Amino acid sequence: MMDEAGLTDLADDAVALAIRSGAEKCDVVAAETRAISVDLEKGSVKQANIATDPGVGIRTFIKGSPGFAYCTGFDRKAISSAVEMAVSLSRAGTPDHEFKDLPPLARPRKVSGLFDQGLSDVSPDDVVRMVIEMADIAGDHKKVSSANASAGVAVCHVALSNSNGFSGSQRLTSMDMVVEAVARDGEAMFSGYDGCSSRRLEPDAIGRISRTAREQAVKGLSQTKLPTGDYPVIIDPLALGFILSTAIGSGANADSVQRGRSYLAGKLGQPVAASEVVMTDDPTVGWATGSTSFDGEGVPAAPLVLVDGGVLVSYLHDSYTSGKESRPSTGNASRGGGAWSFRGAPMISTSNLVVSSGDSSFEEMVRETKEGVYLRGTWDYPNLATGEFSGLMMESYLITNGELGPALKQATLGIGMVDMMSRVDMLGGSRRTYFGVTAPHVRISCARVGGSG
Amino acid sequence: MEDLASKAIDHAVSHGAEFADLRLESYRGTNIVVMDGRTKTVSAALPTGCGIRAFIGGAWGFAVTNDVSPSSLSAAAESAVKMAKVAQQRTKVKFKIDLAKAERAVEKYKCAVRPSDVRTEDKVAFAANLDKSMRSADPRIVSTNARYDDFEGERVVANSFGTLVRTTEAWTLASCSAWAKSDDIVQRGHSACGSVGGYELMRTEEATMLGETAAAQAIRLLDSKPVPAGRRVCVLDNKMTGLLAHEAIGHACEADAILAGGSVLEGRLGQKVAAPEVTLVDDPTIESTFGHFSYDWEGVRARRRVLIGEGVLTEFLHNLETSSRMGVEPNGSSRAHTYGSPPLVRMSNTFIAPGDWGRDELIEDTKDGILFQGSQYGYVEPSKGQFMFKCDEAYEIRSGEVGQRYRDASLSGVILDVLNSVTGVADDFTTGDPGYCGKNYQDARVTDGGPHIRLADVVVGGLA
Repeated sequence: MMDEAGLTDLADDAVALAIRSGAEKCDVVAAETRAISVDLEKGSVKQANIATDPGVGIRTFIKGSPGFAYCTGFDRKAISSAVEMAVSLSRAGTPDHEFKDLPPLARPRKVSGLFDQGLSDVSPDDVVRMVIEMADIAGDHKKVSSANASAGVAVCHVALSNSNGFSGSQRLTSMDMVVEAVARDGEAMFSGYDGCSSRRLEPDAIGRISRTAREQAVKGLSQTKLPTGDYPVIIDPLALGFILSTAIGSGANADSVQRGRSYLAGKLGQPVAASEVVMTDDPTVGWATGSTSFDGEGVPAAPLVLVDGGVLVSYLHDSYTSGKESRPSTGNASRGGGAWSFRGAPMISTSNLVVSSGDSSFEEMVRETKEGVYLRGTWDYPNLATGEFSGLMMESYLITNGELGPALKQATLGIGMVDMMSRVDMLGGSRRTYFGVTAPHVRISCARVGGSG
Repeated sequence: MEDLASKAIDHAVSHGAEFADLRLESYRGTNIVVMDGRTKTVSAALPTGCGIRAFIGGAWGFAVTNDVSPSSLSAAAESAVKMAKVAQQRTKVKFKIDLAKAERAVEKYKCAVRPSDVRTEDKVAFAANLDKSMRSADPRIVSTNARYDDFEGERVVANSFGTLVRTTEAWTLASCSAWAKSDDIVQRGHSACGSVGGYELMRTEEATMLGETAAAQAIRLLDSKPVPAGRRVCVLDNKMTGLLAHEAIGHACEADAILAGGSVLEGRLGQKVAAPEVTLVDDPTIESTFGHFSYDWEGVRARRRVLIGEGVLTEFLHNLETSSRMGVEPNGSSRAHTYGSPPLVRMSNTFIAPGDWGRDELIEDTKDGILFQGSQYGYVEPSKGQFMFKCDEAYEIRSGEVGQRYRDASLSGVILDVLNSVTGVADDFTTGDPGYCGKNYQDARVTDGGPHIRLADVVVGGLA
């Protein structure tokens, strides 16, 4: 792989070429990622993949009009062509006086926990061993008919330079593991899922996620129905992570807010969650896959409080949206999570969204719920314009008299996002990370559940 | 490209691959986004690369390179073989890839106006006009997004059975989103059109009217109410029927899910899984659709697949591996997002065939129900047997008449139940919107469609 110095030279040279070619402002990302992944199906190793992905992405501005082009590989002629293309695309677009500037020159923050030598040294054989261990644990039950697992590791070297003089580079490692157990009992069938992402090897996670997948698969075989009504709902970090990654990740996007497209527009300084809730976007969390020493435009990484004591206190900004408001960027221009990509212009995103924890255990939440629902998984997201969430509870369980019961068949959840966050009446004490969101279990005092009973 | 491809395949075989294939691609793409009257994105992609697979004794190795020089392709071929050997050492399920017909073809999809022959300035002007048409449609439109995408490229698929298929393809896609605001209510409307083919599609009335369509929907939704949750009789429009075909059944018919033990349709071939009125088809051979292709990404000639014929499950979607393991002929269902991804079993144009009911007759015959119109998104977990999809707008049906407008209605069901609950299939077949289907982090361009259909009893999700 090309080292950081070589990538920095390429990026610096491309910036200079873009300016000579007529760009008024420019940033360039040069990256090379080496990825190994292995898929295991029904207990048998199915496929091993290796990919090396080098390339350069160039973004230029002329009178505020953005142009972006990328090329694969590091051939100087190809980079020159991509630079010329980006400049010509800037010329083809419309001037935008609301673009003020790229971020001012700053030094990248020193963030520990971005690169793990152990993960960097992982071989394809090591990854094969990981998926086999996952499948062996997940499949270790007489009712589990199939265990599927996949694991991937990536090493990314990346350099970013811009026309304001920023020149930074970093080495990143990342690892993803996903395991699924499918259980059968006569006609009944259910699957359990769990996963883990990190910037370092997490050997303990293999057992944890594989046992969870197995247990959830078997637990879900027993199913029941629920009549439509209003119920308290305990939300698992898995479901909460998926919902908040969009509800906050996109809902607090300053570009959507400024254009009046988000349900959070006009709510700065107002309560949007229960007073115990604090949400922080933190790119400096050690070993978290969204961590970085600078954002995709060269802003040094720093934690950003979004919701404090239930009050919305900030949106997520990049150079464009911050320029519109004559304020500094919050450093939320993203070029990818685990590994950076050269294939697109930066987009506003959270890095690692962290939700505050409370002091309740999951067991206490269940015990204190007379009749309610435990939502473990959903793949739905809210309507960002209205903040209304209406979707399927793909994996959910009935709670009766403080005890966790069978899985719910065909149950839906309907609630506005601000209501959901404001009705949090119990916060869990321990947290898990899914989809870039670190969150505890939370209990919502009341939500509309559409049932099939 | 063909010569490079053949040599790389030979190299993989000489290093121990029992079977090898590759996708060697070079393409260019454009993406333009105009937001609120100004260009937000004007971007271009110029990638070239190759993905090579090697198969040994039940395991695959896959390697990717962005460098298509002979030496780099040889190195990638060796890496693929090495990875296959690593995987094969721990493979429990042994099988072979059955010899498939060696295809030799040079395919060039219809394209009257090559996107690369159109100036970027003209494409920007097209998107800007769409954006303007939304903003000028109604003063309540407060924000707008117009998007244009094109793709033009060449793909060579080669394998060690002697297949060598070169495909030259182009596609174009445009979409609009409009946000309307009245008092404190904000609603979004959207529209899209796209197809395999060239820039000529952007000169059709369908494309130039996208802005008005999106704006009108956003305005309509301003006076909508949250839908009541619970079990209801539902009538689905053409787009929602298409989404049902794709999500509720199509994914569960993908043979890789069957072999992974992750589909509730496993073991049900030849069994009744739907009402007799239901025939469900996946057909990539329909030209001028977004899901069209004539050879799949393994070089197998594509054909129409009847997945459900008059209520009976008749066929799954196969690639070379699943057809070998299940003892059937491959049916051209293998697709890869780009050269950088290994091919998977995928759908193309998935739809329910028309029936006998008139559309109005179906609604008039419904005493109490909900009409679902326009598809937003959907998903399914075949291993849990459940699916969910969401419409753009919904309407109450009372005593056969369409009434109150609803928003954010979702519909969920159980795969093995839903098509048995069909109580009427109309004769008004149309295709739905173009879109991308996601699976294993890969996108595939697809279309769906069908006529209006009625479902007897499904769960509607909503806030009321």
